[in-house]
Amino acid sequence: MQNSRRIILRYKSGVAFLITAFAAFMASGANAAEPKPWQMNFQPAATPVMEKITEFHNLLLTVEVGIVIFVLALMLIIIFKFNAKSNPEPSKTTHNTPLEVIWTVIPIVILIIFSVPSMKLLFFMDKAQNPEMTLKIVGHQWYWSYQYPDHGGFEFDSNMIPDEEIKPGQRRLLDVDNQVVLPVNTEVRLLMTSEDVIHNWAIPAFGVKLDTVPGRTNETWVKVTKPGTYYGQCSELCGVNHGFMPVAVKVVSKDEFKQWVAKAKKEFAKVKAAPVKVVEMNTPVQAKVR
Amino acid sequence: MTKQPDKIKRRTTVTREPKTRNGVTAVILFGLVAGMTGLAFASDPLYRIFCKVTGYGGTTQVAEAPAKSKIVDQMVTVRFDANVNKLLPWQFKPVQNTIKVRLGEQAIAFYEATNVSDKPIVGTATFNVAPFKAGEYFNKIECFCFTEQVLKPGQMVQMPVTFYVDQSIIKDRNTVDVKSITLSYTFFASDDQSEAEKLQTTQFITDEKDTIISREVVPKG
Amino acid sequence: MSDTAHADAHDRHDHRPTGWRRWVYSTNHKDIGTMYIVMAMIGAIVGTATSVAIRLELHEPGIQFISDFQFYNVLVTAHGFIMVFFVVMPALIAGFGNWFIPLMIGAPDMAFPRMNNISFWLLAAALVMLVIAGLIDGGPGTGWTVYPPLSNADYHPGMAVDFGILSLHLAGASSILGAINFITTIVNMRAPGMTFHRMPLFVWAEFVTAVLLLLAIPVLAGALTMLLTDRNFGTTFFSPAGGGDPLLWQHLFWFFGHPEVYIIIIPAFGVISQIVSTFAKKPVFGYLGMAYAMAAIGVVGFVVWAHHMYTVGFNVETRAYFTLATMVIAVPTGVKVFSWLATMWGGSIKFDTPMLYAMGFIFLFVVGGVTGVTLANAGSDIAFHDTYFVVAHFHYVLSVAAIFAMYGGFYYWIGKMSGKQYPEGLGRLQFWVSFVGVNILFFPQHFAGMAGMPRRIPDFPDAYAGWNMISSWGAYITVVGAILFFVVLWKTLKSENAAEANPWGVGADTLEWTVESPAPFHTHEQTPSISTQPAE
Repeated sequence: MQNSRRIILRYKSGVAFLITAFAAFMASGANAAEPKPWQMNFQPAATPVMEKITEFHNLLLTVEVGIVIFVLALMLIIIFKFNAKSNPEPSKTTHNTPLEVIWTVIPIVILIIFSVPSMKLLFFMDKAQNPEMTLKIVGHQWYWSYQYPDHGGFEFDSNMIPDEEIKPGQRRLLDVDNQVVLPVNTEVRLLMTSEDVIHNWAIPAFGVKLDTVPGRTNETWVKVTKPGTYYGQCSELCGVNHGFMPVAVKVVSKDEFKQWVAKAKKEFAKVKAAPVKVVEMNTPVQAKVR
Repeated sequence: MTKQPDKIKRRTTVTREPKTRNGVTAVILFGLVAGMTGLAFASDPLYRIFCKVTGYGGTTQVAEAPAKSKIVDQMVTVRFDANVNKLLPWQFKPVQNTIKVRLGEQAIAFYEATNVSDKPIVGTATFNVAPFKAGEYFNKIECFCFTEQVLKPGQMVQMPVTFYVDQSIIKDRNTVDVKSITLSYTFFASDDQSEAEKLQTTQFITDEKDTIISREVVPKG
Repeated sequence: MSDTAHADAHDRHDHRPTGWRRWVYSTNHKDIGTMYIVMAMIGAIVGTATSVAIRLELHEPGIQFISDFQFYNVLVTAHGFIMVFFVVMPALIAGFGNWFIPLMIGAPDMAFPRMNNISFWLLAAALVMLVIAGLIDGGPGTGWTVYPPLSNADYHPGMAVDFGILSLHLAGASSILGAINFITTIVNMRAPGMTFHRMPLFVWAEFVTAVLLLLAIPVLAGALTMLLTDRNFGTTFFSPAGGGDPLLWQHLFWFFGHPEVYIIIIPAFGVISQIVSTFAKKPVFGYLGMAYAMAAIGVVGFVVWAHHMYTVGFNVETRAYFTLATMVIAVPTGVKVFSWLATMWGGSIKFDTPMLYAMGFIFLFVVGGVTGVTLANAGSDIAFHDTYFVVAHFHYVLSVAAIFAMYGGFYYWIGKMSGKQYPEGLGRLQFWVSFVGVNILFFPQHFAGMAGMPRRIPDFPDAYAGWNMISSWGAYITVVGAILFFVVLWKTLKSENAAEANPWGVGADTLEWTVESPAPFHTHEQTPSISTQPAE
């Protein structure tokens, strides 16, 4: 795998046609979920999980804004009523047990109200009902690679398109050469790990954000309900190019997905055959032998 | 705040707490610091034990072969996953993608590792299962991950893992929904490369032969 | 024994070093406190410079002037370390603590004056080490969290991270010695009648903080030592290759790190309590509730650490527990906020600069506090983890609130410390500039975070440009506020405006206001005796 990757990279930098081929793919991504200028809220939810997160957050936000306004109102009253001019004689009150009980109990009640939907959401996210397929995600410094173990196990790397190669319609720092393709309305198991440092695979519109930790495989799931192209970025500081390893997922109909798989198998199988040759070369040992 | 300064009176004699009392307090506090430091170091073995015992973070269990009588008819799919750390020039993959087994039934799966470098290297594998909550019920009887593996340049080995999934997984409210379990390994270059160095010394003598090996054994890709 | 102590005190009276010896060899709590405050100011200048560099880089999409992204990561790392360890901690804990704990409890000095000196110089050495770390081998680009494997020898070769670790070790040793000194002083050296339940809340706050330091820093020290040996001596505490687990680092780091945020903010609570009570001309409402709320926050703070790690891949039960435990903190925090409001209620408040800062603190702390509840929930945190929303949250509660407490404490006590009173008009202007600046700086970061912008990136997708530009302008305004602060400081020290022993009137009823301004080199040599009703 190690050597194949190096070959892939060399292959790509030499021949630009892969990029050109996939530019066509990306142009067709019609309803893209991406951050918009001056956006103040979540990106539109594309999965049941994100819908539930948005809903729960709306509850939290409403109550929290209420608390802030309440405190602000009290402070304004204090400013206008209890300044030295309006109220020259300070009161001597230092205790009011009922009041103290109230401001302890009411927050507790609010927190209990929060905790019920919170727990529901948490356990809903954790449970993968019955995933129909698996996507394996591996974090690297500084790109992602993807495997489709249930579709013959082909794999490919996904690198950010550098600024100078951005074409009109592409999103700077978000678009990649090889997008992940997933079928719509399909439960997909996501297995994540890393081959070097900790990264984090995140797509805001999916409500998915999970660390890729070297030496362990994390699992989550996603079921995208709307076709389109979705963007995210690495969300754990992973070194120099942490800001330059975006995630781009293209969600298509199940039929289109089948066609894509057939095409991708050929496309990426070719690249994958490379390691056979590498063995004959005198590959320098990369292992840090202490 | 709760005391009134107007009632402060100044005394003419100085009554200080004895200095020894400060000393005693400081010694107690230093003891506390030492205790917390000790706890920090103790956390390493404690954390490992905790993970092993509870299956936390998908840590699998080690077990003897299961009793035949405990086999139940319910099936579970076990998926196999393989990873190699960047610093280890090996290829590593499962021979089979999935296996369906009955709960409680012993099964065997194979992984294939190839050293694609020109040096012998010792590798060691970490592992976990996903979802994590299945770790408590996933029992390994025999596994290549129990020991370190030494691979010569170009050498390819098939490595078995025998395991069973405890049937009590369906009795646990938490894990009753688990229909498939992914068993995942990651190979790292071991920190202790002394075994590889031994091989390397011999390798210098039989260099020609080793080159042949590396040409003969070509991974299937 | 009391005779010897008397003789000691007498000796010290005669021996009053001058020139550089006064500072370098200082064992005087006021001088050491002043040195800590000066160090915090130096740290603040460096820390602010790093944040301005970050905001300048993020002013527009694209690369402005930091093309070396490792350097950007080093800036982010340095900003975190410096602000936490070399600005807020030296100012709020060590600076104000050294100055006012002995004054407030009626002690002549700290329990271990020479250890106090060592604490200070260890921290100075730590700052030097940190600067060295930033300058060699590309610097530590790990973030202040120093997560392995990124921080191990494979991904950060060179000495930079090692120097960073040693710097934290020294800073940690300094904090531990300081904490032992504080606790011993508060436990043993209170004047007769100054019972625990009569101590000013600032002393309570410093006491709770010192206990937290004592319990949390050794864990950091242990973890740092393990990382150091992992990097240099082949151990594998955090390396999977040798059977370690990188997540163990995160557990240990946050077991320290979460109490650390309370270590930062609890002294601020103490300062604000003093100011609010003074300016409202009322005793603190619900004094005991306030004191024990701080203790409760400290205790609960030790059992919530993994809410910083919701996305590492935890069993669901773990996340459920940490969600519920974390939300509990909102209760004592709420008690504090409402008690401050109740203290002000019915008061006769003069809105001088310290009080403006206290009001600003309370409001902004509430704004940052409620988003803390959002982040406490493991479910919704998935959407926020590692985005600018988190950055906005912790800057509201830590940076803005803590710095407002520092500014407020400075204006409140500068008369006592320097003997000169600050210019009131300029002080108020400085408050308003800072207040407007920090809100423009941090509030838009909530929006950028909700839209999905990750932390710690040197360039961002073009859609985030708007809020980032506004945020950057806020940073420049905040810097104007900081420059104004130094103008105020200069004018104060140069002014002829001598401060009275108690410039604040009847509301200022703690012991430091009973000594003249500036506080003489030796105070409370004759133990004051506090005879009053026990705390109501």
